[in-house]
Parts: sequence; C-alpha cells; structure tokens
Amino acid sequence: MRLTVNGSAYDVPLAGHETLLAVLRGRLAMTGTKLVCGHGECGACTVLLDGVPAYACLTLAAACEGVEVTTIEGIGAPDRLHALQQAFIDHDAVQCGFCTPGQIMAGVALLRENPHPTEEDVQRAMSGNLCRCGTYPKIVRAVLDAASKLEASHGA
Amino acid sequence: MAHEPRPRRFVSTKVEVEGREETKIVELPDRTPEPWGPDAELTVVGQRVARMDALEKVTGRARYTADLHRGGMLFAVIVRAPVPAGTVTRMDTAAALAIPGVRGVLTADDVRGIRHEAGHLFDATIHYAGQPLCAVCADTLDVAHRAAAAVTMEITPAPHAVTAEQALAEGAPVVRAGGNRTRNSPRIIKRGDAAQALREADVVITREYRTPVVLHTALEPHGAVAEWEADRVTVWESTQGIFMTRTDVARAFGLPLSHVRVMKDYMGGGFGAKNGASASTYIAVALARKLGRPVRCVLDRKGEQVDSGNRSATVQRVTIGARRDGRLVAILLDAIVPLGIGGWQAGPARIYHELYQCPNVHTSETFVYTNAGAMSSFRAPGHTEGAFGLECTMNALARELQLDPLELRIRNYAADDQSRARRYSDKQLDDCYEMGAQRFGWDARESRRGDRTGRWRRGFGMASATWGAGGGPPAYATVRINRDGSVEVLTGAQDLGTGSRTVFAQVAAETLGARLATVRTVLGDTERLPFASNSWGSITTASVGPAVRVAAEEARSRLFEAAAAMMDAVPEDLEARESVIHVRGGARTMTFAEVCDKLGDVMIIGQGSRGPNPDGATLAAFCAEFAEVLVDVETGRVRVERLVAAQDSGRIINPTLAESQLEGAILQGLGYALFEERAMDAALGLPLNPNMHDYKIPTMRDVPHLEAFFVPGADTTANHTGAKGVAEPPIIPVAPAIASAVADALGVEVTEIPLTP
Repeated sequence: MRLTVNGSAYDVPLAGHETLLAVLRGRLAMTGTKLVCGHGECGACTVLLDGVPAYACLTLAAACEGVEVTTIEGIGAPDRLHALQQAFIDHDAVQCGFCTPGQIMAGVALLRENPHPTEEDVQRAMSGNLCRCGTYPKIVRAVLDAASKLEASHGA
Repeated sequence: MAHEPRPRRFVSTKVEVEGREETKIVELPDRTPEPWGPDAELTVVGQRVARMDALEKVTGRARYTADLHRGGMLFAVIVRAPVPAGTVTRMDTAAALAIPGVRGVLTADDVRGIRHEAGHLFDATIHYAGQPLCAVCADTLDVAHRAAAAVTMEITPAPHAVTAEQALAEGAPVVRAGGNRTRNSPRIIKRGDAAQALREADVVITREYRTPVVLHTALEPHGAVAEWEADRVTVWESTQGIFMTRTDVARAFGLPLSHVRVMKDYMGGGFGAKNGASASTYIAVALARKLGRPVRCVLDRKGEQVDSGNRSATVQRVTIGARRDGRLVAILLDAIVPLGIGGWQAGPARIYHELYQCPNVHTSETFVYTNAGAMSSFRAPGHTEGAFGLECTMNALARELQLDPLELRIRNYAADDQSRARRYSDKQLDDCYEMGAQRFGWDARESRRGDRTGRWRRGFGMASATWGAGGGPPAYATVRINRDGSVEVLTGAQDLGTGSRTVFAQVAAETLGARLATVRTVLGDTERLPFASNSWGSITTASVGPAVRVAAEEARSRLFEAAAAMMDAVPEDLEARESVIHVRGGARTMTFAEVCDKLGDVMIIGQGSRGPNPDGATLAAFCAEFAEVLVDVETGRVRVERLVAAQDSGRIINPTLAESQLEGAILQGLGYALFEERAMDAALGLPLNPNMHDYKIPTMRDVPHLEAFFVPGADTTANHTGAKGVAEPPIIPVAPAIASAVADALGVEVTEIPLTP
C-alpha cells in the first residue's frame, strides 16, 4: 500500500493486521513515536491523521491509505522547531523524554483545534498522555506559552 | 636514614546508598578544590540553563534501547508462567519453531547457571505468575509474539501464597525452600529501652497502617539489544547502572569484564527498577550468542508490570509514647513486609530511627517471601513506606495533645543523627519547616477551612523526610579540551531523565571558565568512559559532580600553563570566562580555541575522582511538605488542592531541573497516596491490573497546585561542590501529608492507602 507520512509517500508491503505504530517504527525506521502500552492506554504513540490525533498502536496501517500521517519527525527539525517544541525546551517540560513525542503531538493537535486554550482545556485534552516523571505542570505551561507565541507570530 | 611516612593513597570511607551504609575504599584525588561555599561567586552553577538533551527529546531524535536497529537484528519475546506456583513437566516448542520467520528458542538448557530471583532463569519450578519460562526469537516482533503463543506446556500447579497473611499462615505453602520468612526476620534495630520508656510516657498511642504494592511503571520498559563479535559482547541497555550491568553479564556468561561493553544513551525512566542486568538482558545476550545475530529483547507492558520490580507492601503497627509537652520518649514499630519472591530488604524501620529526637526506639521487621514478582528499589525505598506510618502517627499524636503538628516536629527536632550517634554534615530541615509553612500559609490555614457541614470538607496536613543523599566515591571523570576549544566531559554515569548531562556540563563550565554551549557531556559506555556508580539513591550529582570539578580543575591548570607561555604571563595571573583567558589587570586575551589550536594535537586532558566523605558525619537531604485537600463526604473522593514542598539538598546546580525532579517525585507520591495499587487475586494468585488502564498513575488532571522549592544553602562539609541529592526525598512525605489532611477534613483518621473512595 501507499502510506503518506510527513509529506512523503512510501510504498509499503504489509500484512493486514499490522498497526501504524509497527509500520512507522519497524518498516520506516521512524522511531520518534514510542511503543509503551500497546493498548491505547498511555498516549505515547500519538500521531496526527489528517491533523486529528490518534493512537498509532490502535490504528491499522492498512486503514491509512490516502490519509496524511504526521509524526514527531514531521513537526519540526532541530534548526526549525515548532513553537511547542521550543516551549517544551524553555519550560523544561521534558524529563526522561519517552512520553515527549506523544505529548507534543497531542499538544499540536490541541492548538490547531483550539488556539487559545485555558489551563483546563489543556488538562482535559492531554489527560490521556501519561508521563511517569511527572512533568505535567511544565507541559501545561509549555502549551499555554506556545499558544501565546503562535498567536503573536500570526498577528505579526 | 628515616623516611617521612608517605601519606596513604587509599583510605576507607562511608557511603549511604538507598538507605544502606557501606564502607568503601577510595583513592584520594590528587587535588581537593576549595569548597564552593554558600556565598561563592558562581556564574554557571546555580543557573537555570536549559536541559542540554532537550532538543533530541522534543524532536524524537533521542534514541532509546528499543529504537536501536542493528543489521540482521532478531526480536525476542519471553514466555511467562500463567500460574503463581507449580512445575513445568513438559514444554513443546516445535509448533513455535515451525512458524516461518522464527529463528530459535531459548530454554533452560541454554542458560544453565544464570540466576534469576529465587532460582535460575527458566526454572521448571514456578515461583510466581509472570516468571520467564523460555523465550522465542524471530525476524520481527510480530512473528515472535505469535511464536510465543504457540509454545505449549504442561504444568502441575501447586498451592500458592501471594499475600503475607497467606505465606505466614499455619501450613502455608513453601514459597522458598529456605522458609517463607527471610533468615534475619524479625530484623530488630533498637536504641535505649523503648518498652520501659513507654511505661513512663504521659500519652501512648498505637495505630496500624497498611500500604500497597506499587509499580514503577516507567514508560520505557526494561530491555536490551545484544550483539556479539567473536568472544566479546556489546549490550545496549535501558539501565541505571552500566557498570553493574557489565558485571552481571560478565559473571553470567563467564567473560572477563573487558569483553563486555554496556552502553546506554537515553532511557525512559528507571525510578529504581533498572539497576543491573535483568531477565531481558540475559535472554538477549544468550540468544544473540546462540543464533549468531544481534537480538533485541524489550519487555511488553504486561511483562513490565508483573516482572520488573515493585515497592513492597507493608503492615506497620506503630506505638509512640510522649510527654504532655509533646516530647517523644519511645517509638516502637512492628512491621510485616512481603517481598514477593525476592529482591532486597528495603524495610520501613530506618526512618523511625532517624527523623526525630527520641532516646528509645525499637523496630521489628518481618520480611516474607510470597509467590509474586520480586520487589526492587523504588524511589526512596523503605523510607516512603515508613514515613506513612511514622508521620501519620505523629499527626495523630498532635491531635491527641492538641498541638500543632508543625510545633510537635519542632519540639522533637533531631539536631544529630541519633541512629548512628554522629552529627549531620549540615541539616536545614528547620528551614524547610519554616519556609514551607510560610509559603503554604500554615498558620492561617483555619481561615481557609470554610464550611464544616457541606459535602466537600477542607483539610490540611503535613509531613517530613530525611534521606541519605550525600553520595560518595568511587566516581571518576575526564575533561578534554579539543583543538577548537570545545570541551568534553566523560564519565560512566547515567542520565535517567534527571538532568545529569546538564549538571555535569555546568560544573565543568564553571570550573574551566568555559562557555556552557561548548561543553558536551558524554555518558553511558563502559568501554570508553571512566567508572561511575549506578544512578540510584539520589547520589549522582553529589558523587560525580565533585569528580567532574577535579577533572576540570586539572584541565584548567594545564590550559593555563600552556596559555601562560603563549601570553608571556604566569599561570597564577590568568583567569577565564566564557572560554576567553585574560591576564589579570592586563588587556591581553586568548580564547580556548586559540590556545588549543596552537597546541595542535597536544590535547589538554584533566582526570578527576571523587574524594572520601567526611568522617563522623551523616550526609542527608531533608524535606517538609504541606497538603490541602477537599474530601467529598458523600463519595469519599479526595481532591488534592495544593501541595507545598520545601527541600534542603544543599547547593542546587540547576534549579529548573531540580524543581522538575521535586514535582515529579511529589506526583508519584500523590499516585501512591490516592490510587496506585497492584491488585492481586489472592485465590488465583494472579495480578489483576498489569496494564496502564487498570493500574492508575497520575494524569495531567490529577495535578494540584504545586509549589516546590529549595531552601538556600551549600553543604560544604559533604563535598566541595556543596550539592546533595534531589530525586528521592520529596516522594517520602507526600502520602502521610495527604492522608493527614484527609483525616483533618473528616475528623476521622485514615490508616490505609491508596485513599480510593
């Protein structure tokens, strides 16, 4: 099948039961998206499907034909970070970093849908993204900060 | 002719790790820098610089163990015991091997002599549900999972005991051949005569507390990738201790240490569960040897939740005797601690001996083996469990005496470490009490209480902690300055997500006078880096930081000697800032790059080691926490509104990163207090919630208003950087502070966690 990830098309031979997560990590060597629970319980594998957040561990790759898949690798590069990535750095919203790609994808999706979230909006939207290091307070700050920076840059 | 006695090069010193004190031999460093006192003028240390590996983490480029791919790599999956006790009488792997893409299986015959928990790896005797029985290996993870499901076996089940009550009952099943109690049980630790003193107390209160088994639930599971080259093996492992893992692997496979290379770049959390090799390590190494190809063995979530360690449950029967004025005269503890099938004895007793001034303390701990996954260190093991019993009882005593719980603690303040009959290198728990109470508004709390008759009742509680976070030797570091002036700090330590990389770079930059952005820390490779110990016990900053400083001092003095010749000055007149060397009082400058480029391939290298700890002193960090809760009296639901934490960890190298640790520890403590518990079906002997849906860790919506900060200071007696550990102390007081706030709200004590409705 043909899979479109971060704007590039890949022709991938795959078995019908393979998850998008397995294909991204195994066949496309895009390891930024993490496998943590494998059952849609923790949010670490969050990606965007046509801009909408989804758990890659519960998504069949075969169902992604014609869908624009966006992963952490497609959000920003080291020299051209997304405002939310920069905010995660600025607010130290990162400890071990294992949940971070999923958190950022969930945050990006939230900001697209709701560019002016309140603290409670962030908590509601991202409560499915678990972090065992306990960086939550700083993640909230990072998302709110990115929202205001994005607004300022769009206003400019 | 009489010789001057040569000063001894190797001396012994005491180091406390995870609540246990060990005597270690240490080589004295060639130089001992002047301590950075509380008023030292530092420009990089103490600054809130950004985490130096954050860029890799926010872009998904940081490579963790499961992200590694080696050419020809195979995938291993472990087949686990479906029952808690019994014997495997027949195992058939033929169907698994017949699946296309399956490359081999690993059974007990392949791993003879490798120990695992109560027996050997792949024992036919089953000691707990989830015990590894064999492993399969295939071209893809998907095929390996199918192969694991195709292994069939016959098991003769046996009676089990998964709780302490079951294991201690008359006629209980034999959990371990040596007996269901550890040989040293009951472990008695005492000072004075607590029983006698109790008779003379004005007030005596007795309580019984229960704490649950809780699971680390690091997001990255345990795992390893192994690859052999002739008779040498390289292991990439998610570990808190590369050198300990190397020792474990070398021993298991009969290899010289020099033939085992363990590497760890990034890891997705450890929290105490990842110290040394585990079943997945041995399986990856053995399969890679057997099949002649690299093998990755990473646990799935269920495997991680049932077989990678846990915090022991406890039953704590506590008796405290006090005078009318609140001064303690006796503390007694009788505790039962089920360990699971193995692990070590992180008992709750120690904190009862340490936290308060009390002449008579008697503790008894009975450690019990059960048919369940083994315990392992989990963030402040022992003290976190013990603090729940001790601090809840102290708050009960305060109510009994109608004293402010804070005042009760001040009246029983332990100025010295009575448990070891020596002083503290430094102790600012009094400042933690004072500044924490002030920030919280403790004295004005009644004005916030509000309605006492409505559905939601407000309550306030507090608790405190001590933890031996002073670190110690051995630890080594090398600092190199390259031809372009860039600096590398090399040390075989680990960064678990704690920020060690950044902290070491700050110490080196400060010492050298280098621009921080030019300093890079290289960690996690036993073959290329000097020794540093496991990152456990909150010791890394205080153990390795001083070694980095010594190495950087040596590099700086070499650099200055080289520069002095070029600048027509004496080294003593030089100083450096932002990688520029100045002659004091002169205009002449040279950059590090200019000096080193002139040196060409002559490299500036400094070596450093961690010196001994001071004699006759206990090194510890301290913490006081204050909680405000709302309790729904109709449903029993607890909402933590606010938590304030004040901690004494000496000098803080990077307040932002250290505060992240504080907040993280507090949130893990909040989960412990409110909803985390490994549920076990006692009749079947099976864990009921080995996943992340039914085992509840805190989510973003559970976060209260948090204020966590450090009291200012620098413990220059502990070591010459003045820094002590951060990560563990703040989890210790959380549960008793919250439970006491709930008791305050309801007027009814709570003696068991988690506080689920």
